[in-house]
Amino acid sequence: MVEPVLKIRDLSVSFAAGDQQLAAVSNVSFDLNEEECLGIVGESGSGKSQTFLAALGLLARNGRATGSVLYRGQEILNAPRHELDELRGNRLGMVFQDALSGLTPTMRIGQQLAESAERHLGMSPAEARARALEMLEIVSIPDPAQRLNAYPFELSGGMRQRVMIALAMICKPDVLIADEPTTALDVTVQAQILRLLDGLKRHTKTSVVMITHDLAVVAGLCDRILIMYGGRPVELGATAEIFSGPLHPYTAGLLRSMPTLSIDPEVDLPAIPGQPPDISQLPAGCAFAERCERASDRCLREDPLLTARTNARSVACHFPLDGN
Amino acid sequence: MTDALLQVEALNVDYAVGSGGLLGGGRKFLRAVSDISFEINAGETLGIVGETGCGKSSLGKAILNLVTPSGGRVLWRGRDVTKMDRKELRALRSEMQIVFQDPLSSLNPRMTVGEIVAEPLRVHAPELSAEQRNKAMIEMLERVGLRADMQNRYPNEFSGGQCQRISIARAMIVKPKLIVCDEAVSALDVSIQAQICNLLRDLQRETGVSMLFISHDLAVVRYMAQRILVMYLGNLMELSPRDELFERPRHPYSRALIGAVPEADPNLRIVDSLVALEGEIPSPLSPPSGCVFRTRCPNATPACVGSVPQREAVGPAHTLACHHWRTLYD
Ligand SMILES: Nc1ncnc2c1ncn2[C@@H]1O[C@H](COP(=O)(O)OP(=O)(O)O)[C@@H](O)[C@H]1O
Ligand code: SF4
Ligand code: SF4
Ligand SMILES: [Mg+2]
Repeated sequence: MVEPVLKIRDLSVSFAAGDQQLAAVSNVSFDLNEEECLGIVGESGSGKSQTFLAALGLLARNGRATGSVLYRGQEILNAPRHELDELRGNRLGMVFQDALSGLTPTMRIGQQLAESAERHLGMSPAEARARALEMLEIVSIPDPAQRLNAYPFELSGGMRQRVMIALAMICKPDVLIADEPTTALDVTVQAQILRLLDGLKRHTKTSVVMITHDLAVVAGLCDRILIMYGGRPVELGATAEIFSGPLHPYTAGLLRSMPTLSIDPEVDLPAIPGQPPDISQLPAGCAFAERCERASDRCLREDPLLTARTNARSVACHFPLDGN
Repeated sequence: MTDALLQVEALNVDYAVGSGGLLGGGRKFLRAVSDISFEINAGETLGIVGETGCGKSSLGKAILNLVTPSGGRVLWRGRDVTKMDRKELRALRSEMQIVFQDPLSSLNPRMTVGEIVAEPLRVHAPELSAEQRNKAMIEMLERVGLRADMQNRYPNEFSGGQCQRISIARAMIVKPKLIVCDEAVSALDVSIQAQICNLLRDLQRETGVSMLFISHDLAVVRYMAQRILVMYLGNLMELSPRDELFERPRHPYSRALIGAVPEADPNLRIVDSLVALEGEIPSPLSPPSGCVFRTRCPNATPACVGSVPQREAVGPAHTLACHHWRTLYD
């Protein structure tokens, strides 16, 4: 059995807000396997970003993380800063929705890329420059040699996202975490970036984590998906199985209520009633209970934990669907 | 003479962008909407799709008289809106309503929800007593899925979806003939989007209100609209009945746009199924000559550089602007 690249166990994140502790992420456990693409899907505020920010030591000052994050067997949750800095620059790359926030505004992009190659790969300046150019070619930046001299603000949103991906990938990391990388882009540009990520996934050994609110984005890209709701993991499994037979009522509701290009537009979509929970007032039991048609007394009392149904699928629900 | 509720004829919207400099180069203009024509009939929804800067919102604003068109006409029930007198304009303002994208910032934070929803009645139905207004407001709140006891709360106490319900209540209370929804569900969570779309569909079925539904999201537009106008850099690419557009897009840009939408189907791998156009949208300050789409069009020829394609009828209620549509995709 090959060890997973990342092994996350009982990861919880809370934020101090006044005299309250907000539970942003509760008991998240999953593995990221070698060379796999894992999708993390949920609505805004469901805890997707904070899960990975916590794992990489990037939580806001008022945040606290507990549990365990093993990177190739080594505990990295709340590890010393210099260790995490080295890991992030080198083994664990991250791309954000807003590419500007991940790039240094005052530095030419060639310099940013080359610096990372020198520092983490021990390359000479000339080698690093060549590697920077190669990376811009890999992410399909037109006129890459000229673009090395550009500043981030001189690039369009789509180009910046490509540069961000180049920077995250330059050291051939073990893991690329992409947090809503296409949400701010136009559809035709989103398609370009998704194709790029799919290509990288196929042609490199890097494991990819794709964080998104859009199930359609993960459908054709990810091998497995983890669905989150109210800071909790609610369902984990192979993408094809989740789409064909969701076990969690929330997943099933989401799939039914999505307007896609293949629904019959004359028929009303069955929408999930109610609203996502407010993490400052999470209920005692299941966070989805108020919106769930299967809810019973037990759901209001007991918070269901993510439990394996088969060795490849888990669900956090007292009364899951049968998956057919 | 048609019985269209709204007719838009050869509409242009220009924005002045700085001055041409000391040497008298004249002011520069950005053409946000260029020669757009369409109609909206009573009870129907026309969708407008396109990417950033394609002029969707400017078109919506021109129709609502919030920006002044620099060319063309907007006819409301056959009357040119720029020639209307005060009284007609007043009536027009209650007959056309708008729902914006950003739910919270489009609601006055210092007014209670009840005041916000009742306010349009003050202006447009001054004959109503306070009591009648209140009754109508409560009915409207309940109709959009809010509770009467929420009327004394302020917008910031509500979620995005609820704020959008408040905006819809405010728009619908004056019984408009047309509502312009500008990215009205785009900022909402996935599970809330369907709720708000369904609310708009229900209200349309009940009241016969027409809708101009503007969105960058093709799947949402397909769910909401019977006819769809596809825009690119201010220009009409294709105007088509919904099913024809999705089953058989005739314009290269419509085709590209539809092909770029990821399908929620795990059997379709991204690299095999998603079509990606090259390049990005050019600046609207210096649009390409000829066909504005030519710098990204996979079918462009020298003819596309030299002349602007004219609109042609492809079928009933179906027009497009492309030099080569007859020979493409047969
Ligand atoms: N610094 C912070 N202080 C308080 N709450 C925070 C902070 N950062 C994030 N949160 C809250 O944590 C929850 C989870 O956030 P996040 O992981 O960003 O969700 P997602 O990425 O799924 O949209 C949200 O309710 C968010 O408002
Ligand atoms: S635990 Fe109960 S309320 Fe929660 S999803 Fe399952 S059935 Fe619904
Ligand atoms: S006119 Fe030419 S460039 Fe424009 S869409 Fe048609 S083929 Fe493409
Ligand atoms: Mg996030």
